[in-house]
Amino acid sequence: MSRKFLETESPAWVTEGLITEAQRERLLARYPSDAVQAVGLLPLLGSILVGLSALSVVAANWQRLPTPLRLGLLLGSLVAAYAGGEYFLRRGNRRVGHGLIGLGLVLFGAGIILTSQLYQLVGYDVSGLLAWVVVGVLLSYLYESQSLILLPIVIGAAVQTYCTQALGIFSYTIVALVALGSGYRWWRRPDTLLASVLALGLLWQAALWVALSHSKITWFFIPAMLVYAAGDWHRDRAAGRALQGPPLVAAYLFALGLALFGETDQYAGQLRPPVLAYLGALGAVFALSVAGKRQQGRLASLPDWLLLLPGFYLPGGLPLAIATLVVLYVHAGSVLARAHRSGEAEQLTLGTVLFIIATMVAYFKLTWAFLDKSLFFLIGGVLLLSLSWYLRRRNASRLAAGVASAASGSAPTTPPTLPNQPQEPLA
Amino acid sequence: MPTRHTPSHRLLLRLLVAAQVLYVLGVAGAGYATTAYGQHIWLATAPVELHSLQYESFVRLRYTAAEAPLTTWRGASPPQRRQAVYVLLNTGPDSLATVAGVYDQTLNPNPGQAVLRGWVTEVYNHSLGLRYNLERYYVPGDSPLRLGKTSPAVRVRVSIAPWGQARIERVELLQNPTAAR
Repeated sequence: MSRKFLETESPAWVTEGLITEAQRERLLARYPSDAVQAVGLLPLLGSILVGLSALSVVAANWQRLPTPLRLGLLLGSLVAAYAGGEYFLRRGNRRVGHGLIGLGLVLFGAGIILTSQLYQLVGYDVSGLLAWVVVGVLLSYLYESQSLILLPIVIGAAVQTYCTQALGIFSYTIVALVALGSGYRWWRRPDTLLASVLALGLLWQAALWVALSHSKITWFFIPAMLVYAAGDWHRDRAAGRALQGPPLVAAYLFALGLALFGETDQYAGQLRPPVLAYLGALGAVFALSVAGKRQQGRLASLPDWLLLLPGFYLPGGLPLAIATLVVLYVHAGSVLARAHRSGEAEQLTLGTVLFIIATMVAYFKLTWAFLDKSLFFLIGGVLLLSLSWYLRRRNASRLAAGVASAASGSAPTTPPTLPNQPQEPLA
Repeated sequence: MPTRHTPSHRLLLRLLVAAQVLYVLGVAGAGYATTAYGQHIWLATAPVELHSLQYESFVRLRYTAAEAPLTTWRGASPPQRRQAVYVLLNTGPDSLATVAGVYDQTLNPNPGQAVLRGWVTEVYNHSLGLRYNLERYYVPGDSPLRLGKTSPAVRVRVSIAPWGQARIERVELLQNPTAAR
């Protein structure tokens, strides 16, 4: 609760007799003013400024410093950052401690890069920077810190980008390190932010792989949906959904692109990988995902896979666009149905937005040519109105059922759903 | 799991930090060893643009060996952009190296030849654009390039280690009447 809210609202609570003045003061004392915390930040800001000035002095004279001194500065700051981190952690200052350890890791990468630059040394494979990712993953196991777990994921993506762009190779070792190392760390200690960043990092590397190997971009969805399937197997539902967010967004954007541009065979032609290989791989990932959903009791989220229907094998042109639109509508409907079942307001909003997007795409792509515009708006409006009417009715009947069962003394038929609880499968 | 300040945890961190220090020292050692045990060649460049030295610590070198006729391509399939290649260079005694062939796999050079690894940047109708990752030269504080006002052509001494790494050893002004002007 914010202190400001408490300060403005609590006098009214006292006058209304909700709490006494003494209780109000105890409540206020419980939430110290933000100003006190801000003062605590001043030494940190001061040391950052001092550090920055030292950094700029060194950076400005870097090329003029003798080589041993440069090497000494790099190694000295590396060791100092780690030693400082351990010192603060032992004194119980976790935030500064973890910050310094993270700085040490960044300095290690800078040390590798600047030292090769110092000797004008060219490497032809990834081994130089691979050590950076290895150390990052190892550190994330040594400390209980969110930022230290995020760091190797970001470093892995950056090193992979360098590899593919500058060296023209894709390092499977780096993907494996991030997917297995950081992935296992997440698996043991699930966390939604970490899950999203992990999924984004892996998708970025998958995209680099597709770009480098000149493959059809549809191959991107095999690794992407593997990440999705991993989310299905995780026991923590919220963390699993967070991992599935980025792959789902990518799949949705792809389906949307197909609906918008799929009419021209030229575009669809770029998407068709060899049928058997692609469908076999996708089918295997699908089976993995379904098995996970079944084990965790989350079969209700199965319609997510609608977005991956390989409609691009259809001949380009109108059939493809229409098929994709139908898929988008069914998907939006499934999200709405699921949101209604679980009673989550955010899911409901999402479903409505998806529904409106599908309608807009349909409007621009198809209806323009076939229907009178006014008729189209009429149909769209009626669809939305009937949908809202249906949802209201379902809500009302559920509420009535809940009241009736409460009155008869039994437990409500539909207990309030917590995000962590497994959902009941679709009836 | 993590963050217990047990002696073993501290020992693990110390080992990890020591490994990082040794690794950076290893990179420096590879730099020395490349010069000590490597093969040395001279590469010529086009005139170097020195204006960038005012706000950056490096200059871009454009090697004459960065462009090779398509007839020097020795690969099985046509060259592709971003492809990694092995460039066979003819080196005379203390003279500038010239491209003898561009290969898509490793090869053993004869005496008087050297192999420098690189990448295809562009495939033109009659030539290949090549990149060696040696294009960025971080100019030391005492380099003659820091004193120059014009755009001199230079020759670059490159060491190629037996294990394949390469480094710029030093850069000299080309003693050439057109460049001295």
